[in-house]
Amino acid sequence: MNIKENIEIKDLALYLPKEKVLIISDTHIGMDEALNKEGVLVPRFGFKDLKKRLEIILKDLEINTIVINGDLKHEFGIISNTEWSQTLELLEILENKCKDIILIRGNHDTILGPIAKKKNLKPRDFYKVGDILITHGNKIINEDAKSIIIGHEHPAVGLKEDSRVETYKCFLKGKFENKLLIVMPSFNLVTEGSNILREDILSPYLDQDLSKFEVFIVGEDVYDFGRVEDLE
Amino acid sequence: MLEIKDKKDSEKEIYKLLHPIVKKWFKSKFKNFADAQRYAVLDVHARNNILVSSPTGSGKTLTAFLSILNELVDSSEKGILEDKVYCVYISPLKALNNDIFENLIKPLHEMEKIAGKDLGIRVAVRTGDTTASDKQKMLKNPPHILVTTPESLAIVLSSIKFRERFFNVEWVVIDEIHALVENKRGVHLSLSLERLQRLAKGMCRVGLSATVAPLEEVARFLVGEKRKCKVVDVQYLKKMDLKVLSPVDDLVNNSFEHINKSMYRLIDKLIQEHKTTLIFTNTRAATERVVHHLKDKFPENYYEIAENPPHIKSALIGAHHSSLSKEHRFEMEQKLRDGKMRAIVCSTSLELGLDIGSIDLVICLGSPKSVSRAIQRVGRSGHALHETAKGRFVVLERDDLVECSVLLKHAIEKKIDRVHIPTNCLDVLAQQILGIALEEVWDVGKLYRMIRRSYCFKSLKRQDFNDALDYLAGNFTTLEERYIYARIWWDKEENKMGKRGRMTRVIYMTNIGTIPDSEGIRVKFKGKKIGVIEEGFLEKLKRGDIFVLGGNTYQFNFARGMVAEVIPVSGKRPTVPAWYSERLPLSYDLASGILDFRQLMEEKFRKKVSKKEILKFVHKYLYVDEVAGEALYNYFKDQHDYIGIPHSKKLTVEHYSDETGRKYAVFHFLFGRRVNDALSRVLGYAILGSKHKTVEVGINDNGFYVAYDKSINVMEAFKLVKSKEFIKGLENAVDKSEVLKRRFRHCAGRSLMILRNYGGKRKRVGRQQVSSMILMSAVRRISNDFFILKEARREVIEDLMDVNNAFEILKKIERKDIKIKEVTTNVPSPFALNLILQGYSDILKMEDRQDFLKRMHQMVKAKIALKKSF
Repeated sequence: MNIKENIEIKDLALYLPKEKVLIISDTHIGMDEALNKEGVLVPRFGFKDLKKRLEIILKDLEINTIVINGDLKHEFGIISNTEWSQTLELLEILENKCKDIILIRGNHDTILGPIAKKKNLKPRDFYKVGDILITHGNKIINEDAKSIIIGHEHPAVGLKEDSRVETYKCFLKGKFENKLLIVMPSFNLVTEGSNILREDILSPYLDQDLSKFEVFIVGEDVYDFGRVEDLE
Repeated sequence: MLEIKDKKDSEKEIYKLLHPIVKKWFKSKFKNFADAQRYAVLDVHARNNILVSSPTGSGKTLTAFLSILNELVDSSEKGILEDKVYCVYISPLKALNNDIFENLIKPLHEMEKIAGKDLGIRVAVRTGDTTASDKQKMLKNPPHILVTTPESLAIVLSSIKFRERFFNVEWVVIDEIHALVENKRGVHLSLSLERLQRLAKGMCRVGLSATVAPLEEVARFLVGEKRKCKVVDVQYLKKMDLKVLSPVDDLVNNSFEHINKSMYRLIDKLIQEHKTTLIFTNTRAATERVVHHLKDKFPENYYEIAENPPHIKSALIGAHHSSLSKEHRFEMEQKLRDGKMRAIVCSTSLELGLDIGSIDLVICLGSPKSVSRAIQRVGRSGHALHETAKGRFVVLERDDLVECSVLLKHAIEKKIDRVHIPTNCLDVLAQQILGIALEEVWDVGKLYRMIRRSYCFKSLKRQDFNDALDYLAGNFTTLEERYIYARIWWDKEENKMGKRGRMTRVIYMTNIGTIPDSEGIRVKFKGKKIGVIEEGFLEKLKRGDIFVLGGNTYQFNFARGMVAEVIPVSGKRPTVPAWYSERLPLSYDLASGILDFRQLMEEKFRKKVSKKEILKFVHKYLYVDEVAGEALYNYFKDQHDYIGIPHSKKLTVEHYSDETGRKYAVFHFLFGRRVNDALSRVLGYAILGSKHKTVEVGINDNGFYVAYDKSINVMEAFKLVKSKEFIKGLENAVDKSEVLKRRFRHCAGRSLMILRNYGGKRKRVGRQQVSSMILMSAVRRISNDFFILKEARREVIEDLMDVNNAFEILKKIERKDIKIKEVTTNVPSPFALNLILQGYSDILKMEDRQDFLKRMHQMVKAKIALKKSF
């Protein structure tokens, strides 16, 4: 589905067909491991699920550049063995599908250095494709652009019928200072993300009235759910 | 194996047994032995297993301790007192220091005074609050009597050094056993007792219980399989003065405000007529409300101003419930013991035998829901043995009146409702097996046999036992990842098992127990705390929803962890009804009693018996006064004249539509909510089975209803609910419910798959909730019958609900022992009214996530299209 001209929703990723750019965000590798460390003994399916879902997207697309829009891995501060090997494995999968990988720094990526270096990547704060600015979203980037694509928020919406509530990952489309703003869901399959109808908002880009933002839910397909206000 | 002991031993025989010091002490304190003592002291001395059921304040605790102190004094005098634990005393209460002081330490001091020397008998209390240095002291100089809780016992059993002190324990005393049998703490304890017994083969078990039934089953719980036990029942001794009171003559035609006002006047009057009154309200919110109103409306009665400067004003009434701070509760208890309070209001927290001094009246606001609970509560008054216990049940509406009146009858006639003892709880099993693995390497066959000696696991299937071992050994994951999850190793060839992992001991010791954390969601406005809501309620809120809290309305803004931010909005209509997840359920036996009463009343109306005769019957049958009798008569007459009275042989399903066209099928099934929850869910599931939509199901103790907009043939669906497939059907229905999610978190905690304490940090409930959802979907992928999931399901259908009685009722309906009558009404009948107004509802889900999403998408699209066309 086209969320805007030349910006397509491909499952949990975005694809810019003209420049052949694929954007994924917030993979948070090692999140289940982090849960284990907190004493929640979740069996680790996260990485296997992520690879499977990603490979379906990669299979049919022609890609020049893959942009990882922040929070590639989950843990602040330290890199565990599993995280190290899984992150490298993911980067290798992506390498085989494209010419360039662009690594954008997220707030969880405080110590990406060693892994990035091993793959000759240089984490940066933003990347521009034409007039589209791609950045993680934890801080405002002052760059000229017509459209901005961010992650960070892990947007999801809870659909409610009587007392049933189910939460689904979604894209949001709205405005930021007269620019088009697209918020990507997380490509982390351990959690659904945070229900924007209910939970506190994190990104400074979204520190505004969200009721006119458009909601695109990602299920087996992508569904246009109208505006946030229609769901409230 | 059980022997009912109904003959008292002679005083002479008991005195003969006592050491002169103990005898002298006893005679200086008491004129003669209390009945409980006459029945049990000799048996405790002879190391016979014995269960003693007698009312609070009947000298029960001393019954157990008299023989034990006697033995210790005797040994001390003979110079043969060993450095070992002679007696382990277990109480469900953590704050038992005061009681132990009264019943153990003070008598001991007094005996030493008589002896004129230090007898060297040591008593030590070990609970979660015991300091490390005190624990060290206990290890060096083991107490002769160890006072502890079920949780701390399990810890010391796994402590390599302390275990040795348990070799040759002679007695284990379990106090307030009635408060343990009905929940997982009891199940957990039953296995600890087996572990203890293995160390001390000759140990005898002494159980002390308040009113509970059936005593035989509790005795079996106490001793486990294939052991003898004597049973002593002295509960009939305490005299009871019980009455049901209505604040107004007519509970229907008076406004709520008027009834409420009259209720406070009535409560105030009762308090003023007595010295100290204990009030039970069932809920914490009501507790606060009652204290607030009494202080507000009758300030002259509930404040005392000190005569001397600085004339400090102090309250003579206070609240006591589990959300209040420990300090506040201790202060209230101390003030009660000092006789400084006129009244104390609690939810349920003062039901157990904490020493609270002399109470001369107990008021229950609203039904206590079970006879044993009522007797337990009322028994808190007239604490001394020969005093009469005095209880008043204040009712505010007609269903409450019926319920309390039948309850009164059962209490007076000592028809005690039967307890439900949970069995084969797999989470508790896993936790205990881990504790056992910490002791030493075990033969798995031997372990299985030991576990099956516990009453709660006597029918444990080998497969479930193996599943527990597989789970603990991490066999649900790949070999490479196993080290993360495995707490034990299990060698299937050698059939041996033992502990695995460096951290395992610490994990076990810091995460033990069966009581789930629940702290509630704090509701705040601009950082200021307004109150607390349940987490289940928060799950249902979205931004903009308006709800009631503490009498005011608030608009929900957002949630952050365990905090809900709101904005006060006065005068707005709530968009979300108040919600209580787990209220006290009406006991099944009491429900049956009400149904029987209904049947008798129906017969009288049908045979056109005169009003005078019926009133006479009501008065005689239920022991209620004229006002209550008249109100009962009117309620039943209204119902009879309208659609007839549903009762135990003939149930009624009432169909009616409200003004919006919404249709209701009201099932007048008075079986208590535990049964109704089970029946209504399976029915809801059967309705959904044919059509992909949701129906609303509401339940309370008196029945349930199904509400729907489109035409559904509810009775056709009900016919599909068959006893044969009922259990499977209920499991399916529960599988997607909210309540399963909550219980799953508790079970995962007990199974140590979610650790409250880890890496030196304590985890908040909110985090546990989020992670338990992730955990639940992950284990579902391994198997829908994953160990913990299976236990959560069992807990919901067997413990929270009552699958067995629901099954029996269905069978009776199938055999036509119970007939079902259908009627259609324009206005709901009197019996249906409360059910529709107050039934707690849980919407049933059937569609999977993707179908739900697609349908919601169609709905939103239609809504948007409609908006655009204007």
